[in-house]
Amino acid sequence: MNSRIVILAVVARPLYLVILLASLWVLLRGHNEPGGGFIGGLMAVSATILWGVAHGTTAARARLPLGDAVWPAVIGLLLAAISGVPGLLDGEAYLTHRAWTLAFVSVELKLSTVLLFDIGVYLAVWGALAGYALALLAVDEQEQEGGPA
Amino acid sequence: MTVTTPNAAMSVAGRALFTLAPVTALAAVLWLLATQALPLTLSWVWIPALDIELAFRIDGLSALMLLMITGVGVAVFVYAGGYLSGHPDQKRAYLLLGLFMVAMIGCVTADHVLVLFVFWEGTSLLSFLLVGFYHERQESRRSAQQSLLVTGTGGLVLLAGFIVLGQTVGSYRLSEIIVLVPTMEVTPTLTLAMGLILVGAFTKSAQFPFHFWLPNAMAAPTPVSAYLHSATMVKLGVYLLARLDPAFGEWPLWVWLLKGVGSVTAAWGMVLALRERDLKRILAWSTVATLGTLVVLVGLRGESAALAVGALLLAHALYKAPLFFVAGNIDHGAGPRLIDRLGGLRRQMPWTAAAALLAAASLAGLPLSFGFVAKDVISEAKSVGEVFTFARMANTVFGTIAVAVAGITAVRVFWLRPPPGAVRQAHEGGAALVLPPLVLGLVGLVLGMFPLLAQDLLAGAAMAMSPAGAGTALTAPLDPQPDVGSLLLGLLFGATVFLLWDRLYRGLEWLAGRTGRIGMSSIYERTLAWIPRVAAGITRRAQNGSLPVYVAWVLASVAVPLATLLWLGRGQWTWPAAEMPSAGLAGAASLVILGAVFACLMRDRLVVLLSVGLIGYGSAVMFLFLGAPDVAYTQFTMETVFVIVAAAVLLKLRRMGLDRAVPEPAWRPGALALSLLVASVLTALLLAVYATPFDPVLSEFFGEQSVPAAYGRNVVNVILVDFRALDTLGEVAVVVLSLLAALPVLQAWRRRARTPVAGGRS
Repeated sequence: MNSRIVILAVVARPLYLVILLASLWVLLRGHNEPGGGFIGGLMAVSATILWGVAHGTTAARARLPLGDAVWPAVIGLLLAAISGVPGLLDGEAYLTHRAWTLAFVSVELKLSTVLLFDIGVYLAVWGALAGYALALLAVDEQEQEGGPA
Repeated sequence: MTVTTPNAAMSVAGRALFTLAPVTALAAVLWLLATQALPLTLSWVWIPALDIELAFRIDGLSALMLLMITGVGVAVFVYAGGYLSGHPDQKRAYLLLGLFMVAMIGCVTADHVLVLFVFWEGTSLLSFLLVGFYHERQESRRSAQQSLLVTGTGGLVLLAGFIVLGQTVGSYRLSEIIVLVPTMEVTPTLTLAMGLILVGAFTKSAQFPFHFWLPNAMAAPTPVSAYLHSATMVKLGVYLLARLDPAFGEWPLWVWLLKGVGSVTAAWGMVLALRERDLKRILAWSTVATLGTLVVLVGLRGESAALAVGALLLAHALYKAPLFFVAGNIDHGAGPRLIDRLGGLRRQMPWTAAAALLAAASLAGLPLSFGFVAKDVISEAKSVGEVFTFARMANTVFGTIAVAVAGITAVRVFWLRPPPGAVRQAHEGGAALVLPPLVLGLVGLVLGMFPLLAQDLLAGAAMAMSPAGAGTALTAPLDPQPDVGSLLLGLLFGATVFLLWDRLYRGLEWLAGRTGRIGMSSIYERTLAWIPRVAAGITRRAQNGSLPVYVAWVLASVAVPLATLLWLGRGQWTWPAAEMPSAGLAGAASLVILGAVFACLMRDRLVVLLSVGLIGYGSAVMFLFLGAPDVAYTQFTMETVFVIVAAAVLLKLRRMGLDRAVPEPAWRPGALALSLLVASVLTALLLAVYATPFDPVLSEFFGEQSVPAAYGRNVVNVILVDFRALDTLGEVAVVVLSLLAALPVLQAWRRRARTPVAGGRS
């Protein structure tokens, strides 16, 4: 920890939250405005890398959903795969998306299997690329902490 | 020879349960023949988009094949129960044999040629697995590979033939093809289809020059040899030829190819039998020769020829399978199968000796055997059909050596005095080993005495092989007239060869020693050895471990074909009208150029990486100004992540002391030339693209349908998650799977870094 840049460690916490929120915003608005699951996932990866550089890869990994990179990756893939099933059940081709509008008291909430698919892509990209990045950073980290062998 | 491990051996009940499969199938076939009017058609929708139906049609020929498949199947399953008793993999043998039976049934009942092809390849694959049953032996593995390569390649050629035929004729149904083809003109395309199909059929039925794989397939356990490589699978080629004979039968080329290739196979196969000492291989060569005779008979015109095909198919199944069982009993009860070490076995193995006599009588064509009936029908077919002299000579060679082979398998090893050094200890197998050959032999005897029993079956098969329209019933009863003169002459010749067997063997060996290794088998071996040598040579040159060389290969193999294509289509593009770029675009372009120039000039890898990143950012800015914010976003983020990860790797390398500066390339002029080529090809490509009017069908469709069909205004995202969702799913799956594959490697690397290595390089 001592060797890390203090400013980065201090800035990392708010920045991490901002980037994650921004990535979620990009994910959710993606269907109508520029954005989407892939780009949102990439932004989340950069947040994770930021945390990894500032506080170490173990801490960054613990901050990932379910505490590891593999879980969000696999769950995301499963979500994306499952999102195609409702269309299949309706007798359409696999991945024909369904959409519903839920009316609450005064708010209309639009839901669809597309959203599920995009969340899946988001999680899969985040998990997979964060997994790569953290594993590579970890190797580097060790060298640094262990000093020259 | 079998490995006995008490816990792995199958119980009697388990074996009986497996044997139920062919018994049920046989019962079903008998029920079908007894109650249903042929031809019987069934069909289900399978792949509607390609107009492929699971169409089946059972006519007389299918019925004959079905009876052979299930009837011999019962015998084989019973026999396998005894022969492989106690073998740890007996269950596997049963399972594969059962699957094989299903594939065979599918093959001989399929009406759609592509359905037939699927089952056809299934039999090849199962043959591979069954020939390699004793997978611990290298010989088995090599033979299995050979049979798969020959029949599998033939199968692919057959598929090509089927597709050409189906597209030309306009139907993939066998029942329609044989009606349509005779009405069509002989075109080169149709001839090509015929040739391809012939290759497929010839490889499967081990016709010259593809005959060499069948004897090698004898590495399989004996029940497998009896079933696949004598009674059923190798007959598939003949079956297909007989099926298509009504279509092509009037073509001189078809007739001459069948007669020619079949005759050569019939004679040469029998001559090669003289070079063998192993009982099973002798039988295998005689099978090859019989298949050749069958092909000749398919090629002959006339209804008696069709009848002869059916009769020989049936007779061969009824005598060759028992003879294989006899050979199996000998290696099971005595040990070796080499005829030099066998003799006088009748005392120890009386039942097997009896079965061998029954079956061999049929092989030799003695009166009262079904083989005699078959021989009679064949000679009648030849008296009617137009046979050329060579085919007659080939048939004489075939008949003569067949008698000798019958003598070897039934007389020499059982009745003649054992040669010096012969096996002394031998014992008869159990009921499961003795009954199948005896029963099949007896069926042959009964049919030989009362040939009218098989009349309807064979007439039905012959009907199916007759040209459409000529549906004259075959009324001539199967009533063989013994022609005493030719019969005795044949036996005399046969007996002579039998007595001279060893001398002929030595003579042929001497001849073979003089001529050296020529023949299909050695050509096959040489080809097989040649493939990895060429592949290794190419790999050594193309993938020498140097990254710049790889990049050069990739770029060159993209640029050169593209350049050729562009050159062929030159003159179609013009320079677009020059227009002043906007300030933003100009700035972005200069960023890209700056990055590219720096990347070329710098020698420190980290600086080069950053310069390359500059190119990425520059193009992202360009996207932003060109109205593609999505792409720009993604480019920005991707570029950032890429630079960070690559920098991490570079820093790691630097710490390991592997971070040398980019060396001066030894082939700078070459690299420059390649770069110029790639750059000019890309420029030319862009110009060509500009010259082609833009086809807006897709973008208009996506633009129009995005909101109504997918409820999204962001067309790019809608394409990704809805219109092309399956592609995206596949890409995401690749990303996740690559992580799962890479993690163990990275973690191992990390673990190795953690354990301090004494004296390790730092």
